[in-house]
Amino acid sequence: MDKPEPVPDAVSAFYWEHAARGELAVQGFEDSDFVQFPPNSVAEQVDVSGAPRPVVVSGRGTLYAYTILHQAFHPAFADSVPLAIGLTELDDHPGIRILSNIVDAEIGELRSGLPVEVTFEKRGSQHLPQFRPVRSGDSA
Amino acid sequence: MTFGRKTAIVGVGYSAIHREKGVDSRPLATTAAKNAIADAGLDVSDIDGIFEYPGFGELSIDMQRMLGIENLRCFGDYAASGPSGLAAALGAETAVASGQCDVALVFRSITREWGQQSGQVVFPPASGPLQYQMPYGVAGAIIPVMGMKKQRRFAEFGGREEDYGAIAVNARKWSALNERAVLRDPITMDDYLSSRFVSEPLRLLDCDYPITGACAVIITTAERAADLAQKPVFIDASALGTGGRPDWTFTDDFVFGGTRACSNTLWERSSVTPADVDVAELYDGFTHITISWAEALGLCGIGEFGDWVDGGATIGPGGSLPMNTNGGQLAEGRMHGLSFLAEAALQLRGQCDVRQVDGARVAVVANAAGPQCGAMVLTS
Repeated sequence: MDKPEPVPDAVSAFYWEHAARGELAVQGFEDSDFVQFPPNSVAEQVDVSGAPRPVVVSGRGTLYAYTILHQAFHPAFADSVPLAIGLTELDDHPGIRILSNIVDAEIGELRSGLPVEVTFEKRGSQHLPQFRPVRSGDSA
Repeated sequence: MTFGRKTAIVGVGYSAIHREKGVDSRPLATTAAKNAIADAGLDVSDIDGIFEYPGFGELSIDMQRMLGIENLRCFGDYAASGPSGLAAALGAETAVASGQCDVALVFRSITREWGQQSGQVVFPPASGPLQYQMPYGVAGAIIPVMGMKKQRRFAEFGGREEDYGAIAVNARKWSALNERAVLRDPITMDDYLSSRFVSEPLRLLDCDYPITGACAVIITTAERAADLAQKPVFIDASALGTGGRPDWTFTDDFVFGGTRACSNTLWERSSVTPADVDVAELYDGFTHITISWAEALGLCGIGEFGDWVDGGATIGPGGSLPMNTNGGQLAEGRMHGLSFLAEAALQLRGQCDVRQVDGARVAVVANAAGPQCGAMVLTS
């Protein structure tokens, strides 16, 4: 069974299109610094009324929380456990957290506060943002 | 503080609770309802309001048909976004207080299939909100996210696995005293610590136990309660809470969700304080939720549950604050919320036999967590 790929919609299309180009983008709005994730068809802030716009971010962040999934409730992940799943808080926008797998990582090194960076995994016709620990010597 | 007329819990009823699958829940729901009505010393024809959660399965008007009630003056089918079974009780309380109806039946029926997350083979596409989680292996309702919440609590506040284990062990201490409970064999802390990781650090014994069964309560005015069969249990205060950016995953307060806001509202409205609580019935769909409520309600300080629970002594039989005295959903079974209210009422009536908390006069009940919090204070 293939792992599920995301199904973009009118609100989220930009997110997956940027991911296909190797960019991580969150949703912002014209004439405002406000950003949000997940995207919505309206700004979740009452005084923001500009049109939605993609805001490309650095892709750097810190691991906020994580879990090691041992029981694959979705059968497509049966051969992928133990599987690291985490929430990454973006350096560019503290408070904005994106869920992904934590890849290229040893389970023992995971901790809240761990510096991570985005990478992308091809999944069917889409590209998934994933996060991995920043290795010393990586470009800063 | 009440919202009009003072209200009371006057009847409690259960169906049998068991682990069978493929069961028609309608006979369970009507059994629980009839038991609650009889417990109150009322007649079915006295019921003029019905309230249920989660808005599918048996609806309020389905129950009306099955009980042969002529008309409902008020009813409510509460969405699954609400605080589990307590959502319906909160609606019933408001309806009775306001005068929309006089005698409200509240029920929750559930089947094992509803509560069980393992074994699902057909999943919807990863569209809508699922597109940001399911491609990463997040399925099985909120279980992986609950694993992250437990991890984050450790990161923020410290604490030990044994803090969670104390709740799991406590559930079996109490369920051994509750003939209705499905899991009645005692467990030890070693059993807890050796139970398998479902979504590490979340363990199997952090999770409640899916069952088939139904629970019902009757709410009416304090005035009417004075003439009924049971000692009335008064609703002293109630509250809902959602927290900022309400969501289980992408939310402002990832660890506590709306529990703190809900608790603040509750105590603002209550005539008593956290120090007055004699018995606490706090949702335990996952042990993380129970700790969140204990701290949010001010039964102990934020981040201080581990010290407060004292290895389980505080919350066990004979402890200073007995908690989840029916065994909770971890051991009595996952009745999905309303059983916490029913147990609190039975405790304040002094009818819990071998598990009775001596002199219990004030109870606090809390349901669900995250974006869908609800709580009540009851007094006798």
